[in-house]
Amino acid sequence: MIVYVYDGSFEGLLTSIFEAYYKKEEPSAIVRGDGLQQDLLARYVYIETDPVRSDRVYTSIRKKISEEALKNVYHVFLSEDPEAGTIIYRYLKLGWKMGKRVDLHLSDEAVFRVMDINRRLEFELHRLLGFVRFRQLEGGIYYSSINPDNNIVELLAPHFAERLSDQNWIIHDVKRKRAALYNKTDWVITEFDIKDIPGNTAEEKQYSRMWKEFFNTLAIQSRNNPKLHRQLLPRRYWDHLTEKW
Amino acid sequence: MELIDKLRILADSAKYDVSCVSSGSSRKNTPGGIGSGFNAGICHSFTTDGRCVSLLKILLSNQCIYDCAYCVNRISNDVPRAAFTPEEVAELTINFYRRNYIEGLFLSSAVVKSPDHTMELIIRAVRLLREVYRFNGYIHIKAIPGADNALIERAGSYVDRMSVNIELPTSNGLKLLAPQKKKEAILGPMGFISSKINEASENKRYFRNTPGFVPAGQSTQLIIGATPDHDISILKLSEGLYKRFGLKRVFYSAYVPVSDHPALPKAIKPPLLREHRIYQADWLLRFYGFRADELLDEKHKDFDMELDPKCDWALRNMHFFPVEINKAEYSVLLRVPGIGVRSAQRIVRARKIQKLGFDDIKKFGVVLKRARFFIICNGKYIDRIDASETFIRNNMLADRKRLPSFDTGYTQLSFLPPLSSPLLNTGTLEYGQITTDLAVTSGDRSENSMLLLPSSEDVAASLTGEL
Repeated sequence: MIVYVYDGSFEGLLTSIFEAYYKKEEPSAIVRGDGLQQDLLARYVYIETDPVRSDRVYTSIRKKISEEALKNVYHVFLSEDPEAGTIIYRYLKLGWKMGKRVDLHLSDEAVFRVMDINRRLEFELHRLLGFVRFRQLEGGIYYSSINPDNNIVELLAPHFAERLSDQNWIIHDVKRKRAALYNKTDWVITEFDIKDIPGNTAEEKQYSRMWKEFFNTLAIQSRNNPKLHRQLLPRRYWDHLTEKW
Repeated sequence: MELIDKLRILADSAKYDVSCVSSGSSRKNTPGGIGSGFNAGICHSFTTDGRCVSLLKILLSNQCIYDCAYCVNRISNDVPRAAFTPEEVAELTINFYRRNYIEGLFLSSAVVKSPDHTMELIIRAVRLLREVYRFNGYIHIKAIPGADNALIERAGSYVDRMSVNIELPTSNGLKLLAPQKKKEAILGPMGFISSKINEASENKRYFRNTPGFVPAGQSTQLIIGATPDHDISILKLSEGLYKRFGLKRVFYSAYVPVSDHPALPKAIKPPLLREHRIYQADWLLRFYGFRADELLDEKHKDFDMELDPKCDWALRNMHFFPVEINKAEYSVLLRVPGIGVRSAQRIVRARKIQKLGFDDIKKFGVVLKRARFFIICNGKYIDRIDASETFIRNNMLADRKRLPSFDTGYTQLSFLPPLSSPLLNTGTLEYGQITTDLAVTSGDRSENSMLLLPSSEDVAASLTGEL
């Protein structure tokens, strides 16, 4: 059993797919190097990221399959599903055979997994558009911490750059130690691991208090339904929601 | 009075309005402005009763001159009163929006002094937001019944959605519980708004920069269970509103006792299951191509509490089934219990490239628990199924573990006064256990009517919260 190991970058994954596609000996899995659990029976081949090869795969997905397929693949990569690399490889192999109609093969395991992971990621992305909570720090920057299941901070940024275009903000993925930073004109993604975040402004305290008051007033006692509440607003998001502090 | 106290009082007064959506508008941000619309709408939080929080839903004032029996803000009710200034509303909206607490503002108001005066106050608040704060987020306001059309028209040029609440589905109910409101005062503005929306979209075809009017359309709300109306009159009313006034949504609100008015039902639990069934039926009207008179008729005036409206319809129309998965048109697939929009779309897509068996459709997530009684793949049922109405009904009821959890230990109440009795003027109403009419004519399945014609090309409709 051969397992390809890549460095965890999207380019690394695409390079591995290039190698897998052209080598005689096909790998049975493609996995990330970080946090890898070695299996005694597997033979590990470490793939070195090669920008030329990854570019060729990238262009070929767009031209020979579709833009949609490229988006699907990138989302599966961002989902950080442990089997992401392997699923993407199988999906692309079928894609290069079938062309843009690959997405109709819903009863194919790989196609279905790709669709399913995309659906989950997009669902979480949509949830986060609502669940991000900014607070105004001393100095005027609006800061938000998040901890999503998928690595989606870069997909969140354009939305907030459009609507909150006249304020400086940070969306900080605390688990992945990455953040989107916005300075009223552009946003960037950077490594971000700052522990001593400045305190809130006085104005902030006033508005977060009012928000909590508003939130707590809204529930109608005779309709109380905690199970439904947790289903719609899962516990794992509560740490970062102002109204739940 | 502190701002936070006003907020508590005026949010408390507004919370019985169930409309929460922020969809239907894709307003863009402007340079130097703040906010944008998101067409599908965004939920920002959920209350502990499981309702979504999307907009800052408040009243401008709860100092009402009316005395509607079902309403918490009626003049005769002893509740704390407060009023925001338009400036306070704008300030609060912007600051909540900057923190991504909300998608925008839902501003309503009790009738202060007069409908016109109230409408003018609302206009001042939304104008301030749009013109001074350059706010481009979502704004939903109430059109106050009885306000001048010119004011409604002005308000409509600033906001994304407007709504007029009907509340009580029949004019009898209105007479009894809201004697100061007239049917005409409610339907009048709805008709006016709908004609203005049509006019604006007509103009858009000829002039590029025509001012928009209520781009996210209008909605309304009906209270369920405060008057003895049957489900059929509620559903027919909704159907009419969707068709005649082009409403985006009709919301339903199980009556929550807020008063001990003699004409109102006494301290009952809100009829949540009934509300749920009516919502299910509402979806069937809007997304599944059903008509109200298919779901309910003179013999079945109320929904079955044990089965959802689609199952109920299917069991009364067994001649329609079974449906062949590989051939049936999209609109036919949608009528199968257990197959929703998403499953139907997947089936239509997947069968373009291969013949589908039960294993295939299971693989891409079609749930067969209910559907298996009504579908065949390549001419065969999944199992030996006795496709008779009683067999299916018994199976479904046995399968079902229990009703949705919010209804445990609660019996559905319904008003079933004898038809000849003077419905509303007695002051006391009789409640009886619901007697669902299970007598369904069976055995009239003709073999021929089961054949389904293959479709030429199915088009999958797009799915958003609203059409």
